[in-house]
Amino acid sequence: MSQPTANCPNCGAPIAFRWSGSVQTVCTFCKSLLIRTDLDLEMVGKVADLPAAASPVQLGTEGAFAGRSFVVIGRILYEYDQGNWNEWHLMMNDGVSGWLSDAQLEYCITFAAKPEKLPSECRRGQQYTWQGQTYTVSSITKAHYRGVEGELPFQTWDRKDVIFVDLMSPSGKFATIDYSEDPPLLFLGHAVEFEDLKLKNLRSFEGWS
Amino acid sequence: MSPNDPAGPAAPQVKALNCPSCGAALTLRSFGNAVSLVCSSCHSVLDATDPDLKVLQKFKAAEDEDSPLIPLGTRGSLRGTDYEVIGFQRRTIEVEGIHYSWHEYVLFNPAKGFRYLTEYDGHWNLFSILRSLPEDDSGASTVTYLGEVYRHFQTADATTTFVLGEFPWRVRMGESVTVSDYVSSPRVISKEGTGKEVTWSMGEYVTCGDLWKSFNLTNEPPVPVGVYENQPSPLSASVKSIWAMVGMFLIASLLLLVIVYVTARSESVFEQTYSFDAASHDEASFVTPVFALHGHTSDVELTTIASLNNSWIYVNYALINQDTGRAYDFGREVSYYSGRDSDGEWTEGSNTNIVTIPSIPPGNYYLRIEPESDPALGVILYTVSVKRDIPQLIFFGFGILAILIPALFITWRAMNFEHLRWAESDYGTPPDDGSLIGTLENLASNFKSSNSGDDE
Amino acid sequence: MILKGFLIYGLVVLALVSVAELRGWSLDRVDQVPNVPKTVRDNPGSYRSVYSSYHHYTGGK
Repeated sequence: MSQPTANCPNCGAPIAFRWSGSVQTVCTFCKSLLIRTDLDLEMVGKVADLPAAASPVQLGTEGAFAGRSFVVIGRILYEYDQGNWNEWHLMMNDGVSGWLSDAQLEYCITFAAKPEKLPSECRRGQQYTWQGQTYTVSSITKAHYRGVEGELPFQTWDRKDVIFVDLMSPSGKFATIDYSEDPPLLFLGHAVEFEDLKLKNLRSFEGWS
Repeated sequence: MSPNDPAGPAAPQVKALNCPSCGAALTLRSFGNAVSLVCSSCHSVLDATDPDLKVLQKFKAAEDEDSPLIPLGTRGSLRGTDYEVIGFQRRTIEVEGIHYSWHEYVLFNPAKGFRYLTEYDGHWNLFSILRSLPEDDSGASTVTYLGEVYRHFQTADATTTFVLGEFPWRVRMGESVTVSDYVSSPRVISKEGTGKEVTWSMGEYVTCGDLWKSFNLTNEPPVPVGVYENQPSPLSASVKSIWAMVGMFLIASLLLLVIVYVTARSESVFEQTYSFDAASHDEASFVTPVFALHGHTSDVELTTIASLNNSWIYVNYALINQDTGRAYDFGREVSYYSGRDSDGEWTEGSNTNIVTIPSIPPGNYYLRIEPESDPALGVILYTVSVKRDIPQLIFFGFGILAILIPALFITWRAMNFEHLRWAESDYGTPPDDGSLIGTLENLASNFKSSNSGDDE
Repeated sequence: MILKGFLIYGLVVLALVSVAELRGWSLDRVDQVPNVPKTVRDNPGSYRSVYSSYHHYTGGK
């Protein structure tokens, strides 16, 4: 896969995009948020220093899921009234973009699903069927971006609160409805255990081997 | 990441901080995953997501509050993963005016996440949050998860009555949540919360022996009291299989019975009637003609039938092998009395006596017979008959008893165990869940209620 | 564990019952006297059984 390169308009550092579909990235040197308009990077603003990540996952972490290997190329940190969680942007080995969410070290892998008729509002316990699987609403969270890192497939600099609805199923399948856009976005995937992802190149923790 | 990139966000480290309320040193062990943190000195509940650790709540801890049996900061290996104890809480429920408390330990691994240990009356469970949804038959008393049926055990409102350390959620002293437990020993599914927020978790019973070994603890673990809701019963699971085996053994015994009866010779080898004059002073002993006992070593059945009328006869027998000179000595008493009194007619004794002589090898035998009686009784007629290789039912009876008694004992013990388990539940007695024990319990309680009904 | 134990126990019980039936065991006790001379057939009175002079009728119902 070709890796398009450009230079940061702020500090001139070389920027390489690992994923052809990346719409924005963060310059690792000066923390500028850069929007790609096909290699003519437009600087939008600076990203505040992200707090030390609680996650063992970091940019460059590799792993595998359902027969495809992936590498972590981006990150969004969401914040809500009970804490925060990370959405790690994955590039699968076939070029598809995926998401690994890490909420208090509970992991899920999801992929953007074809648009379905999605409700404008949800209640806990409601059931929906997509692609032959029934999901039940398990939590409704109001969250906002706290920070971004790396390559992301969309433009994000909006800090306002957005509703996220999580759904679970008896088989471990997992779904998220993201109300940051209209119409809302649907992500379908699976709840996973840390061991199943065979992660490499992880962050190390002081005092733990 | 290319080697020219500067470091990303700082690598996580264990942080040392100070309580904003009392200044005491705090320890954060979960690398930014903590949502609440409790100062052990002043018992302030702090917001761990706030860099300033805003004080959310302050509480007073009781003087005699239990301290964690597994101290905060202890590490242990469970299911191949190292975990560190980072938080501890006590939760209390009220049942019929009595308060019951249990303790929970928050376990942390920086990659694998959180697990929870609960302890009640010395019984321990290791909990994980469920990632798949159990099928909650709302209204019914069961929950199905991964094909296994869990029975409702108890629903109660649990109040947080003590907190210490770190938690990955907002803790609040005095907060109350509805908890329902569904058991399928050795597992339990716990449903916490209602309406807006429901969390499902599954616990598995662990022995304190295993736990103390995992955490390398040197103090004495608490002794478990009674039977806990999901405590595994070594017996209950076996009961059905034991009775299946009993069935098979009974069939085998029946088969054996048929074989024994079919293969036994059951032959009559000698029969003779004698007359004994009890008053005579002549030598009473005599010998019978020689008869052959055929076949393999087996029993010999000797029957003495005497015509008695309120009299008795005692016969000394010796079964003697003509060739080897081995004798089998025994004596049999035959007595029979009858009469009439105020209650009606009565009889005592019998005019027939059967004895089985064990393990007689084949050969030529004769009997030496010496009768005795009261001279006043005069002449007594008696018949001696000898049969070879007669099957005896009594050993089958013993065998069946020998098989039934342990099976009954094991069933009784298992029922006892389940009684103790369900005594603590919302129901008080074991449920009728189609299992053998459940069915027996149902029959027993029906029997009891019908009996007490008769008294009214 | 219990099942294996019970299985072995049951088989032992069945084996004992088989032996008892086939070898002709009995609950009745007899005394064995070896080497009874052949002269007993001619003179039965010379054989003194341990059971002789058993007991005497003591009356009563």
